[in-house]
Order: sequence, then structure tokens, then C-alpha cells
Amino acid sequence: MSLLDIDERILEVAKLADIVKCPVVDGKELPEVDITLVEGAVTSDEHLEEILHIRKQSKILVALGDCAVMTNVTGMRNYFELDDCLNTAYKTAISNDGQGEMPASPFVMHLNQKVVPLQEVVHVDHVIPGCPPDANTIFYVLSELLNNRIPDLSDVKKLHYG
Amino acid sequence: MTTITIQVNGKQLATEPDKTILEVCRANDIEILTMCHLKGVMDVGACRLCLVEIEGINKLLSACTTKVAANMVIRTDTERIKKYQRITTELFFAERNHVCSVCVANGKCELQQLGYKVGMDHIRYPFLYPKCELDSSHAWYVIDHNRCIMCTRCVRVCNEVEGAHNWDVMNRGTQVRVISDFNSPWGESVTCTSCGKCVHACPTGAIWPKAIVQGQLEKKPGIINELVEKRKMKL
Repeated sequence: MSLLDIDERILEVAKLADIVKCPVVDGKELPEVDITLVEGAVTSDEHLEEILHIRKQSKILVALGDCAVMTNVTGMRNYFELDDCLNTAYKTAISNDGQGEMPASPFVMHLNQKVVPLQEVVHVDHVIPGCPPDANTIFYVLSELLNNRIPDLSDVKKLHYG
Repeated sequence: MTTITIQVNGKQLATEPDKTILEVCRANDIEILTMCHLKGVMDVGACRLCLVEIEGINKLLSACTTKVAANMVIRTDTERIKKYQRITTELFFAERNHVCSVCVANGKCELQQLGYKVGMDHIRYPFLYPKCELDSSHAWYVIDHNRCIMCTRCVRVCNEVEGAHNWDVMNRGTQVRVISDFNSPWGESVTCTSCGKCVHACPTGAIWPKAIVQGQLEKKPGIINELVEKRKMKL
């Protein structure tokens, strides 16, 4: 959603690129694409499957935001055991009033023991760190890629975390 | 007073002996990155960011602990040094749990600034995610070991400037921690004077006052040296 922070400049992006899939807009299968922006870290079996599929379908994979680049807040559960986290969230937390139940549906994704950033499971071509990622940096990286140039964040001083 | 000549990045500089390479470079507007250096307290060369190349010496030496010598030829800007600075910075982030977006020091953190300076856009090393404690037992301040980079600025300022020596270091390697007294809760310390110098000396969001919320922390590391200099004044 941070993509929308680039405001009216999205029209310039639209001139050069077709937005074929976005999880908020539609649920179509991902066709073969030139550029994919991926938000979020890999936390479950479903995410892993998805990112492997995305990698296969995309020529350029861009990790967008601190979660995708360095796990950020999603990685804060890595300091604890997964079972402890789930138990606290669904059962023992005071807000559950002692009536909490662990979700057991087969359709619910299985969380991995550890949350990992994208670059630990697939090859990531470019990164845009930041929480939220800076709109100017997003636009800079997109316009460089769409004009067949290689973005260099260390050069533009557009780095930003947190 | 004797004067010696040294060469830094191809530029001739006249300086007094008995000064460190870091002092001479800073006085001549040559940028050297540092984390563990804090003006006013002793240098220990812990962070390894100020490494410089000196002609005739095979290994890189830390600028903060190496004294200048006559005709020394120093380089601070080579690709080799930049490579090591980037590696060191990434290891700082990978070693403990630095989550900028929920940190009190977000936007005013020396570690964050360092990341921007070395052009760190991602971290190439696996995160260790160690289990670190947070000690909020002190009445006014909190220490969060997740954000500590072991620069030991707090340890030195507490010992040398305040003279309390509440802080010290225990263990080695990834188990290394800053401790209060003999590893007891900070709030139970018998040596801490609650002066707050460690709060200002800390370069990250590891030590902060309780009254501060996310991203609102303002640190003034410069007051440590100001204090040291003022104490030298003869009334």
C-alpha cells in the first residue's frame, strides 16, 4: 500500500507499466511479469510457497519495506519459541478471558519457527528499506527500473529505516 | 612545541605529536566514522569503524587509539576501508534486535545515521535474534539490551566522569552484556547515582528516560565533554 504514497506520480508509473496484480485489488494468478514489489517477511509455509512462485514469475524482484528487507516487527517473535507466542496470543493472554482456543482449521496457514527476510529464501534484486518506505525512494527505484537503469540507494541518500 | 608532518589522503598536515589520528583528522575536517568514540572519555577502539590504512603497516589500525608519528602516511577513504565499514555496520544490526520502527531513538539514532552513511540498504548476514533482557527497574531510566551495540560509552562515562562505576561488562562473544553492579537489576544498584550521563552517552536507544515515547528521544552526547572541560577550569 506504500506504493500509493507516491501520490500523483503513480500516473507516470502507469504510463510505463501495467499493474497486473495487487493483493488488495484482485486475486488472479500472477502471470510472468517484469517487476514485482513484495512487502512483508516470510512467516509461514504459505508465504514461502508464494515467494518462490513470485520469484519464478518475475524478472526483477524488489523487497519493499523493512519487513521484507530485515523482518522488522514481524521478526520480533524470533526471540521466543513459536508455541509460546501462539499460546500467549490465543490462550493465555488476559484479553482472551481464559476462553481462548488455538485455531485448528486445516485452511489456516502454518507459521514457521522463525521469520526470515526475503533474501534468505530467494534472490532479491533490489531493496527499498523503510517503515514505511519513503515515497521518494519508491518512485526513484521504480522510475530507474522502468527506464532500464539500475537504482543505487547509497548514491541518492534516500536510505531510511524505521 | 614540536610540530610534525603527516599525510592523510594525500594531504600534508602539520600537527603536534601525542595526538591520535582521529583527533587530527577531525580537526582538519576529514570524516572518520565512529561509534564507540565519545569526546571526554578514554578511547578503547571497540567498534572498529575508525580503521585506517597506514603505509608500512600490514593491518588496519583504529584511528582513535593510534597516535600520530612523524611522516606517517594515512589513508581513510580506500575501497578496503569502506568495505569493512559496511561489514561492521551490518554486523551491528545482525547481532542484536534492532527494530527501528518501534525504537525510542528512531530518527535520532547514531546507529541509523551510520547505516545511511555507509549506504547500507540491507543486511547480508543472518540475524542472530538473541534473547535480550529489558531492565526497567530503575525509577527514571530503562536499559534495553536488544538495542545495545557494546560501544561501552556508558561504562566509561559512568566510571571516568561520574566516578560511580555502576556499569561494567560481563561475558564474551554473543553473550557479552553491559551489567549494573554485579549483574543485579539497575533499580537495586548501590553505586548508581541516577545522574543520567549514560543516557546521553548511549548512541542508540538502549538507555533512555522512561518519560520518552517512540521516536521522541533527544540525546546530547556533547554535554559529557562540556562537563569534562568545565571541570578543568580553574576558578
